[in-house]
Amino acid sequence: MRKIEETQVQGTSGSATRRHIPYYLAVALLAAASVMALMSKPPVVHGSALATDPGPRPLPAAAGQFYSNLSSNQKSIENRLTQIFTEVNFVAGGPLVKTVGLGPRFNSNSCSSCHAYPAVGGSSPPNNPLFAIYQLQGATNTMPYFITTTGPVIVARFPLKSDGVTPDGSVHQMFTISNRSDAPGCTTMTQPDFNGAQSSNNIIFRQVTPTYGAGLIELIQESDILSNMNANGALKLSLGITGHPNYSDDDGTINRFGWKAQQKSLIYFSGEAYTVEEGVSDEAFPSENDESIASCLPPFPVSAGTNKTKGVPDDRNDTGEAPKLPVNFPGDLERFALFMRFLAPPTPVAPTSSTSNGLTQFQNVGCNMCHQISFTTPSSSIAALSKVKASLYSDLLVHHMGPGLADNVPQGQAAGDEFRTAPLWGVGQRYFFLHDGRTTDIVSAIEDHFSSGNSTFGNSEANTVINNFNALSQQNQQDLVNFLRSL
Amino acid sequence: MSLPENTKMVQKSSTPWKWIRIVLPVVLLLAICTVAAAYFPKGARTAKVMGPAAMRTNVVRPASATATDPGPRPLPANAGGFLSKLSANEVQIEPSITTEFNRVHDVVVTSPTDGGLGPRFNSNSCASCHAYPAVGGSSPPSNPLFSVYNLKGASNTMPFFITTSGPILEARFINQPGTNIPDGNVHQNFTIKGRSDASGCNISQPDFNTASSQGNLVLRQVTPTYGAGLVEVIRNIDIVNNMNSNTSTKKTLGITGHPNHSGNDGSIQRFGWKSQIRSTLIAAAQQMNVEMGVTNETFPNEIDQTSGCVLNPVPETVTNFAPGILTEMFPSDPERAEYFTQWMAPPTPAASTSSTSNGKTQFTNVGCVYCHTTSFTTPPTSRPALGGIKINLYSDLIVHHMGPGLADGLAQGEAGPDEFRTSPLWGIGQRLFFMHDGRTTDIVSAIEDHFSLGNSTYPASEANQSVTNFNNLSSKNQQDLVNFLRSL
Repeated sequence: MRKIEETQVQGTSGSATRRHIPYYLAVALLAAASVMALMSKPPVVHGSALATDPGPRPLPAAAGQFYSNLSSNQKSIENRLTQIFTEVNFVAGGPLVKTVGLGPRFNSNSCSSCHAYPAVGGSSPPNNPLFAIYQLQGATNTMPYFITTTGPVIVARFPLKSDGVTPDGSVHQMFTISNRSDAPGCTTMTQPDFNGAQSSNNIIFRQVTPTYGAGLIELIQESDILSNMNANGALKLSLGITGHPNYSDDDGTINRFGWKAQQKSLIYFSGEAYTVEEGVSDEAFPSENDESIASCLPPFPVSAGTNKTKGVPDDRNDTGEAPKLPVNFPGDLERFALFMRFLAPPTPVAPTSSTSNGLTQFQNVGCNMCHQISFTTPSSSIAALSKVKASLYSDLLVHHMGPGLADNVPQGQAAGDEFRTAPLWGVGQRYFFLHDGRTTDIVSAIEDHFSSGNSTFGNSEANTVINNFNALSQQNQQDLVNFLRSL
Repeated sequence: MSLPENTKMVQKSSTPWKWIRIVLPVVLLLAICTVAAAYFPKGARTAKVMGPAAMRTNVVRPASATATDPGPRPLPANAGGFLSKLSANEVQIEPSITTEFNRVHDVVVTSPTDGGLGPRFNSNSCASCHAYPAVGGSSPPSNPLFSVYNLKGASNTMPFFITTSGPILEARFINQPGTNIPDGNVHQNFTIKGRSDASGCNISQPDFNTASSQGNLVLRQVTPTYGAGLVEVIRNIDIVNNMNSNTSTKKTLGITGHPNHSGNDGSIQRFGWKSQIRSTLIAAAQQMNVEMGVTNETFPNEIDQTSGCVLNPVPETVTNFAPGILTEMFPSDPERAEYFTQWMAPPTPAASTSSTSNGKTQFTNVGCVYCHTTSFTTPPTSRPALGGIKINLYSDLIVHHMGPGLADGLAQGEAGPDEFRTSPLWGIGQRLFFMHDGRTTDIVSAIEDHFSLGNSTYPASEANQSVTNFNNLSSKNQQDLVNFLRSL
């Protein structure tokens, strides 16, 4: 808003001439009106923060363990769940029946390559794993400009289709299986034109989200999310915080996963990620992610006796194919879901006087009005997840975050400038922050929550809270940052 | 796709000269009652633009149909069997998945596969509604909800829109009651209040009468599941190629249509009245929660969490990890319901007669076939019984504008409030209720209901020209077409 008004003033004065004194008067009036309009707004004290990021806590990982109180039957399949989450998928000819189906388009070849740090199930590791993947088996991919050796694993979406008008918003995978030796005959599928998308300003990025504690998030009751949303109404009003759920169609329950809370549950998420990120079609999403080139679709002409996908879906439940133990039964997507459901939340470090004060400041400045400290799960049929206090630091709602973070991709009821409050558990060992992984500095990540509105999007709901943070003493700021790095 | 076209038409016809140049011939042609039919779609679309009242007086409904509906073919059912080429191992678990689809759910969970009903629900088993002409199908002649709603002492009253010989309908609200906030979700007919296995639960049924009086109530009937496993594996690209074929004929007929894509993966959804669901797995899991209130691993949250009404730990059906159990006991309920619907064979049409053969020709001639695409072929599949099969579903699996007469005011994904998926016609030979809200049992009325002039809110139905062509057929050709439909 400020910028627009200033521009208008300058434009008007530039077009005035000496012979048009009334114009000067008009300009003066306009300028005066603009100044008054500016002064009537809440004072913007947004300045630079005084705290510094101590950086991610070193390994060993404070996450990645299964719940210690899983039943013995559940424990008995832990290894198989981990095996499937870390399996590397081939197009065909992989070492196991269950390791085929990659592509034709993909971002990576296994879940754990990206959900990697600080332990399997997490998010981007310090060294980008895609460099070890993109040309595997003779693939002729080039690395997109936005992937760097020490940058985050990010996926690309195009807000608009190539006509520049029609909304798109879907993931455009970085790589194809063209010329891989396990995809004989597939030679002509080309990568998307990321440079072109960049030059037409039609590309946005999203990074990997960690999955620890996801089983608890899935079970939190709707009524608890809503009553938390409706709590502290006066305080939220004064801070400029609103927020709303992103509801699932038909059943009307609240979606919880993904940067815009666009995913309902872990099965849904697994099914979608498997086909979107790896190109492995499954029982929830049984199509290959590009069907335009027949020679890039299964079945592939690999030699007899080699493992191959016979067709869609690439992966499915082995419904009684042969006498098998029950643990052989479910398809990959159920196993991924079970893996994530059974992963315990990250363990924070023991509080110090600094982090204790940091938590107090976190609440004083208002962070906790969105980053709600905890929810308790209801009674669950999965005993390890039943009535557990989950300290996730999220209200699981979406909020307007201003033009600075807006990515112009609406999803469900989440608009182009709205994002789910990212859970903060585990940020103590996190490397990359915000939806596009734009910073490794947690102080910058805080500051990036501030964004003044423009003609397209309103102010960030976090603006007042960030002002409050910046108005803290250096000590209090640092304690708050230390608290975050203790999570 | 059709919206920009409409807009173009707005601009073109907004000058008085063009208005006269377009409308005058239409009026004249209508007056002489000759080939006026050819102008109906254009006239109807112009009506949206120029002001409905002025234009609609210039457009009359096409002549009424002369054919009569021979009625549903009698039992035995022409559907309800499993695919014939399932492997011996898959056949082994047919009884288990059939049991699951037929299971009656009470409130209290006593094993990983039973219980979980409510707190809100439309019925207590899949098969009660997916019933006719065999398990897996759609509404039976006698409404089963009358034997469900008061079970175990439940204090439900029957909503006004459910009648003993009417279709099973579920209710959606356009807006949240008493507000202008869009809703669109299913509002279940019944609650578990008063049931002997739900003491302490005290929630009331939605106020359907008020919703109805405020024009806020939308009804949808049960869709059959036969052949669903074949529909879900059809390639997206085949759907798109079919959409892009015969474009000049479709343009003449006023037919456009577009897919309803799934959000993140961008594939084409195929199930539900607005093509809002991607696969049998998601459908089974969602229905289990929405229609019966059984929470599961895909939809783990109770729809109503009022204290005293959440009577089981969630999710109410889970993967069963007990060792030593049979393989087919392993998965949770939605996967079993998934396999049941995925493995159901398509309905078998009656043997063709000279009447139905000619009917099929007329079906093509009048243009029905440009939305009700005769067949698709499934690609190679990992489950061999589903792959490489030509399926005669009579649907293009995309959504079309159907005019204000059918519009239900609810947008779902990319399907607008007046758009519906082309309903597959396989099995309609034994179908009892037609259209999304089951408004008619007469298949000829169902055809006529495809015709709808535009108004200030919605454009004309894309089917107007085809219905007009149908009505212009000779009585014999009309009857043969209807007989063909009843042979499916």
